Amino acid sequence: MLNYIIRRALQIPLVLFVLSLIIVGLMQLLSPQQRAAAFITSDKQIEHLDQIIEKYHLDEGFIVQYKLWAKEVLHGNLGFSRISKEPVTATVRKKLPASTELALSAFIPIVLMGIWLGTLAATHRDGLLDQVLRVVAIIGWSLPTFVVAIWLVAWVYGGLGWFGIGRLPNSLLIDLATGNFHPHTGMFTIDGILNGRLDVTWAALVRLVLPATALVIVVSAGIMRVMRSSMLDELGKDYVRTARAKGLPEGRVVYKHARRNALIPVITMAGPMLGRMIGGIVVIELIFNFPGLGEWAAKAALQLDMNTLLAFVLLIGLIMATVNLLVDIAYVVVDPRIRYE
Amino acid sequence: MKKHLLLLAALGLWGMAVAATPSDTYVYLQSAVVDSLDPVQGYDGASNGIIENIYETLYSFKKDSLSEYEPTLATSYEVSDDGLTYTFHLRKGVKFHSGNPMTCEDVKYSMQRNLVVMPGDSGAWIFGSVLTGYGDDAMTEAKRALGDNASKAEIDQFLDQYWKKIEAAVTCDDMYTVSFHLAKPDVSFMARLLFTGAAVVDSKFAVAHGEWSGTEADWKDWIGRDLRTSYLHKHDAGTGPYKLVKWDGNNVVAEAFEGYWGGAPTIKKVLVQSVEEEATRLEALRRGDADRVDVNSWATVNAKVKQMSGVKVWSDPKWSPAGAHVVFFNFNVQGENNPYIGSGKLDGNGIPRDFFSDINLRKAFAYCLDQDAIYNDLFEGHGSWYTMALPPTWPGYDPDIPIRKLDLDKAEEYFKKAWGGKVWEKGFKLTITYNAGNTERQTVAEMIKANVESINPKFKIDIAPLQWSDYLKAARAKSLPIWPLGWGADYADSDNFIHPFYHSRGSLAKRQNFKDPEFDKLIDYARTLVKPEQQAERFEIYKKIGRMAYDVLPNIPYPLQSPFIITRDNLQGVYYNSMLSRDFYWKDISKK
Repeated sequence: MLNYIIRRALQIPLVLFVLSLIIVGLMQLLSPQQRAAAFITSDKQIEHLDQIIEKYHLDEGFIVQYKLWAKEVLHGNLGFSRISKEPVTATVRKKLPASTELALSAFIPIVLMGIWLGTLAATHRDGLLDQVLRVVAIIGWSLPTFVVAIWLVAWVYGGLGWFGIGRLPNSLLIDLATGNFHPHTGMFTIDGILNGRLDVTWAALVRLVLPATALVIVVSAGIMRVMRSSMLDELGKDYVRTARAKGLPEGRVVYKHARRNALIPVITMAGPMLGRMIGGIVVIELIFNFPGLGEWAAKAALQLDMNTLLAFVLLIGLIMATVNLLVDIAYVVVDPRIRYE
Repeated sequence: MKKHLLLLAALGLWGMAVAATPSDTYVYLQSAVVDSLDPVQGYDGASNGIIENIYETLYSFKKDSLSEYEPTLATSYEVSDDGLTYTFHLRKGVKFHSGNPMTCEDVKYSMQRNLVVMPGDSGAWIFGSVLTGYGDDAMTEAKRALGDNASKAEIDQFLDQYWKKIEAAVTCDDMYTVSFHLAKPDVSFMARLLFTGAAVVDSKFAVAHGEWSGTEADWKDWIGRDLRTSYLHKHDAGTGPYKLVKWDGNNVVAEAFEGYWGGAPTIKKVLVQSVEEEATRLEALRRGDADRVDVNSWATVNAKVKQMSGVKVWSDPKWSPAGAHVVFFNFNVQGENNPYIGSGKLDGNGIPRDFFSDINLRKAFAYCLDQDAIYNDLFEGHGSWYTMALPPTWPGYDPDIPIRKLDLDKAEEYFKKAWGGKVWEKGFKLTITYNAGNTERQTVAEMIKANVESINPKFKIDIAPLQWSDYLKAARAKSLPIWPLGWGADYADSDNFIHPFYHSRGSLAKRQNFKDPEFDKLIDYARTLVKPEQQAERFEIYKKIGRMAYDVLPNIPYPLQSPFIITRDNLQGVYYNSMLSRDFYWKDISKK
């Protein structure tokens, strides 16, 4: 088992290396002029394209470009982000906590809703509740994230005036910038407590409601559907019939016996779910004006900011590879029959 | 479930309670992202919109006026008779945000910092081109002058000369008197000094934090440097009514500077936030979480903003943006195997290189451009008409010049006269280009195509979208026969339009091989009228040029979207100055 984990962990750097080659390679498909044009912020600067090309070595080939970047990375420096106008590492330090805060606040509701509703649908198979939940799940799964997000912004925030957008109310943002609020973790919910500013924690929580809800809507539907079918599978199995036959209460049968086994396919879903969640976060951060990694990367992609894109892809690659490894380990925990050699 | 609903309702009520920003706070949500807060580096609206409030120049705009300048860090100035020396008397008792007093040394340092660094993607050329005579940084100029194979000694010699020019460009006569020495007389020098690049920087503070030392010792290290990696990129060293508190990428927070020489402003706190999504900005405006937001077009203003309560749309038919958009004609198209002129002959499958040198053709094309449709359809009736290639609010603009509107009968008449009737008989084929993604220019191109082709079946026009960089390259190579393009002002002097558009050496006119000695003579003469008392005469000359341009028609000016400002209705003191990056200074606004 330990052997397996070490082997898998050693693959991660290789995956990251290949990812970085792909990104640098893809950039080379565009002409130096096109890439240089992405550097300019006003039309007048287009007169200086040649100088920009020379300054950033945009007319060099793939190998030189890659070496230039790799040299920086080996010095512990991921380059300068044109999008955030500061070194990439400084931005990651600021934006990773924001995205993490959002992801975590959505994660628990996503899992609970998915599992709970999936179980509910399975135990009421073909009943009215099941039908309704299935329709809701299909809608949730097929709705584009930006539609859900814009609807929440326009109706709940704009129309009803509930919650709010952005990480904090503007007045608090100004207040914190001028005062001596120390960003220990970069997550306002936790920093609020650490600084003895519960109003900040509360305000940050309020502002997490809408973006997290959007994430829950678009991600938990998938889990619910997997949970439902896997639960139905389990409920049809012999051990469940036996349990029922020996007179165990239905609740015990469903929640103690069948559900535990039904969770295995759901854990497998963790990888793709994380993918959907990251995709969702990119759009949601943009629309809810929640400046995190996703919003940063989306702008970088539009403006061909290679350093930023590389950093984002590598970070996501690292997270995905780690999560997949954790999923494999989780199998063993949930199902003792599984062994890795 | 009930409990959840209660919680939701409680959160909601709390949310409603905090709507509307405090009365001493100004919150502005913009679509763009600030690029740099270093005055030398900042060259886009988002950056300069901040810089113009935390830094100051010697003179500044008097609210919405483009021709009246207000003494700011200087109290008066005089120009030498030869027009080569501008001497400014500095305001005494001005303090930087650091507490340091402002003196001539700071003014000198700030201007020389432009001339030393001259980043290619900045506006520093605005000063270089008049003070040292160089529009690019020293190394680029050295390579241009000496070629790629120059020896180190040759380059060093060139750099020494360059440095001497920088040194001579600005001198301190005493602690409160500064002189700028121009390479040649320039009528727009005062206007150039209002550009944020000329903002006065706290030299002691900057040097202490690792910026250029202000001496020859390290100037070479700073040539062409990207200032986004140095201290002033994110820190403020200004004298302005606001001081920077924090810029974290998305949010700029500033607060009123209590030691401001002009008295502390009414609005005490400012938050400028970059919000990419227009829908998000609009909802924040509706809720009162923002005092001002960026909106992209009149279509959105009409469809969404006007219905909102508590919101004000500021607009005025008299406002015009600081730009001009025209369709250019090329009088002598260049380039081997030019794909835009077909066969290159007047044989029905192409055009000769000097096709548009015939005034009849230029007029015929002008009558095929449906300016009313641009005004009404593209801008929903909110446009600015242009009679000449100069913004209507700028001095020297003549509103009485007629505008050629769509008239296919007249167009036909001129097409029949063109090239002694040969154009009508043989027909022609040419390509109109525009930069891909620009719907306005695409519409203009399609409009001309449809109308011209409807007149005679032998007239054929193709439309080709090009990448921005390729488009400009083709225009600079003088290879485009007819193309729509815009020009935005660099500084607030009408010469910044008249010269590029109408002088044979102007940066735009030379791309179309337009050369008319009458125009050149007048424009050159106007450039010698540098004294304040000569300005009325200068502006009369520009009006005359506008009238001449109506007859000669080197280009067709067409309408632009007219500007608007969207705020909450309790914001007061809003005005529109097209040369300010964000239309007004924060110090002039307040809340009811």
